[in-house]
Amino acid sequence: MRDVAIIGAGMIPFGRRDEDTLMEMLAYAALKALDDAAQSDTGHVLPPIDAVYVANMGGGMLQRQTAIASSLVDRLSLMPAAAETIENGPASGASAVKNGLLAIASGYYDCVLVVGGEKMREVTGWRATDFVATMTHPQAEYPYGITLPGMAGMFTRLYMEQYGVTREHLLAISLKNQEMGTLNPYAHVEMALDRDGIFDSPHSIVNNPVTADPLHLYDLCPVSDGAAAIVLCSLELAKKLSKPPVLIAGFGQATDTQTLQEREDPTDLKAVTIAAQKAFAMANLTPADIHVAELHDAFTILEIAESEHVGFFPKGEGGKAALAGKTRLGGQIPINVSGGLKARGHPVGATGVAQLVDIVWQLRHELPANRQVQGAKNGLTVNFGGFGNNVLAFVLKRVEQ
Amino acid sequence: MKKEIAITAYKCKQCGKIHYPYHDRCLVCKGREFEKMKPEGDAHLLTYTAIFNLPWGFDQRFLIIGVAEFENHVKAMGQIKVDSVDQLKTGMKVRPSWEPIRVQYGENVYGLKFEPIE
Amino acid sequence: MAVDMELEAVLRPIQYPMVPYPPKVITLANGKKMVIRQAMREDVPAILKSVHPCLFIERDYYDIVSARLYGELLAWYRYRVKSEYCLMGQVDGYLVGVVNGRLEDEKVGMSYHTLAIDRGLRIGSHLFAAKMEYHIEYLNQDAVLIVAESPIGFRRWMVEYPLEATKIPHELGGGDSYRLTREIYLKAKPRLVVGDRPVPQDLMDEAMADIKFADDNTIRERIAGLKGR
Ligand SMILES: CC(C)(COP(=O)(O)OP(=O)(O)OC[C@H]1O[C@@H](n2cnc3c(N)ncnc32)[C@H](O)[C@@H]1OP(=O)(O)O)[C@@H](O)C(=O)NCCC(=O)NCCS
Ligand SMILES: [Zn+2]
Repeated sequence: MRDVAIIGAGMIPFGRRDEDTLMEMLAYAALKALDDAAQSDTGHVLPPIDAVYVANMGGGMLQRQTAIASSLVDRLSLMPAAAETIENGPASGASAVKNGLLAIASGYYDCVLVVGGEKMREVTGWRATDFVATMTHPQAEYPYGITLPGMAGMFTRLYMEQYGVTREHLLAISLKNQEMGTLNPYAHVEMALDRDGIFDSPHSIVNNPVTADPLHLYDLCPVSDGAAAIVLCSLELAKKLSKPPVLIAGFGQATDTQTLQEREDPTDLKAVTIAAQKAFAMANLTPADIHVAELHDAFTILEIAESEHVGFFPKGEGGKAALAGKTRLGGQIPINVSGGLKARGHPVGATGVAQLVDIVWQLRHELPANRQVQGAKNGLTVNFGGFGNNVLAFVLKRVEQ
Repeated sequence: MKKEIAITAYKCKQCGKIHYPYHDRCLVCKGREFEKMKPEGDAHLLTYTAIFNLPWGFDQRFLIIGVAEFENHVKAMGQIKVDSVDQLKTGMKVRPSWEPIRVQYGENVYGLKFEPIE
Repeated sequence: MAVDMELEAVLRPIQYPMVPYPPKVITLANGKKMVIRQAMREDVPAILKSVHPCLFIERDYYDIVSARLYGELLAWYRYRVKSEYCLMGQVDGYLVGVVNGRLEDEKVGMSYHTLAIDRGLRIGSHLFAAKMEYHIEYLNQDAVLIVAESPIGFRRWMVEYPLEATKIPHELGGGDSYRLTREIYLKAKPRLVVGDRPVPQDLMDEAMADIKFADDNTIRERIAGLKGR
């Protein structure tokens, strides 16, 4: 197997992008990643793009558009590159990256473009909520009106009872991530929250109402439009480029039962643990070696639970660690310096790719000082599909030229 | 008339593991033969939530949904008949029933509902 | 504009007496304090300046809501509506939202519009709640008739209170009215109506000084989220 590196990364600002079609967003992000790689290619050694993997969950349902990857290669004039669309729920992004990774690792392709994008704000909140809920079990869950925030609410209740997670812990995540979002020009939500306004003051019942008990509005990520892209090639080739290559040092993926109730312990996110373990084993690194992480905080509880399941903190300690500031920039392990899904937003198909883009920027040391983890060399991402029934983790490593 | 609870659970003939919903192979031993079973008796609440941002197709302000385990260990999701989560506690006993849970294309769709037992 | 006061006496509708809305202050999610107070008739030209840029924002029906609001406020200013009032929200003295309505008769109120000039802070929810509070608690009315012109409005008012559907036509000429009754209001009040009174003097002074307005581009950007283009 060949080592694979990320040599181009690009993203468009997330948010509500009424003026752009899904295809336009995908194309803009793709061009940014391609330009980024081209800038690095001063010696003109890069081969043409062999294949394009496009992550998208809702094109068929929300835009009534299918075969999206074929349409994108046409827009980008990348023919005759191979192309396919990858749908794996909210983990579509990381799944598409994985396909690119395996294709280059195998030696079959030399240069691959991965794009993730979603346009969710074209429809009303009711329809977007319904669209996301189609991930649940079609007979045993969906008809009841369960939503993804609802699944997260049921999970949170158990996690609170079992591990002593409190609203204060969850609050620490929303405050941190929305504060970081104000520094990120790509973030959907650019407003810092105030503890008084969303928690202490009696006025908070209107500002931050219960949305999926015990979760409140600001425990949830917003519904976003957005796209992100990366370019992959072999490490060998990447070393001939001017920007420091970012090696995909480790990768892991695991699945779990579709319904929470069929898991032996519903608070145990086995797929997260296994995906992360596999990624660490392949990279020959441990959680202690990671300098920066992008975790899938679609709901604040998930940042806490994932920080425990990947091994940063023992079970029951993640919330306390967040409250103590250990996961802030400058802390023991900075998590979601980008603002995470909470603030950057969660255009479902784009998220897994966007997480990698943010880590690439971190490992290349390209970010402004107020968001840069000083000297970061190793990064971790976790992209969480369904309610934890399909999870992917990547360990990235900066390679010195 | 009280309707029968139209849920079928599946007990693995090889290892006894109870499944709901259906799987083509047992989650424990990969066995493919199952004995059909009905959820029996009352249930106890494993977890619950109140959802205030409902999907398309629901007109009400909120829905209370939970997962409960029946006396014969079948676990299933259902809507809970209370006005507020303040009336609920994990572990509490609930009585199941089979009632309309939503309207689709003008027709009632039936499903599980739970109601706390004093 | 020259006004013929003799003719005006014929043209101007009668006004029901209305007790003033006592101002209140609300802490928002970002920690800022929003003062909600009643607008004076003399404030109208200034308010219209902030409504104007919203006329050209299609998103979430801002165009239709602000066009109608513009007309309604102007009509109030020129004495062409019966018993209209306007409440506004201010943060740091800046206008961030406007709601208006009028009295159909002494017991029934007619809700007009809710315009949030800053988004993502539940300003619309707070202002709509203040409007209902005014009708029921201060004007002592029994019911308010309401229609929603945007899906967001529908979700926030019809579903959240929840309001009852009626067959009564609404003055805005759209769908039939939904109704907020005193009973519905009192039931929803603990979760939807907040605010502290009296407003501390410094905040009140700031709000009562010349109303401040963000420039047109800022308003458009905040509402339409045009960043990145
Ligand atoms: C929580 C939620 C229901 C709020 O929706 P809403 O009340 O209809 O929000 P609105 O459309 O009125 O939003 C108005 C503004 O509030 C802010 N906002 C909305 N949701 C927000 C959130 N969760 N966090 C922070 N700010 C938010 C945004 O600034 C938004 O402005 P925009 O229109 O420019 O994006 C919605 O965000 C949601 O469903 N989130 C969960 C998404 C989800 O489950 N994703 C899949 C996970 S796998
Ligand atoms: Zn078995």
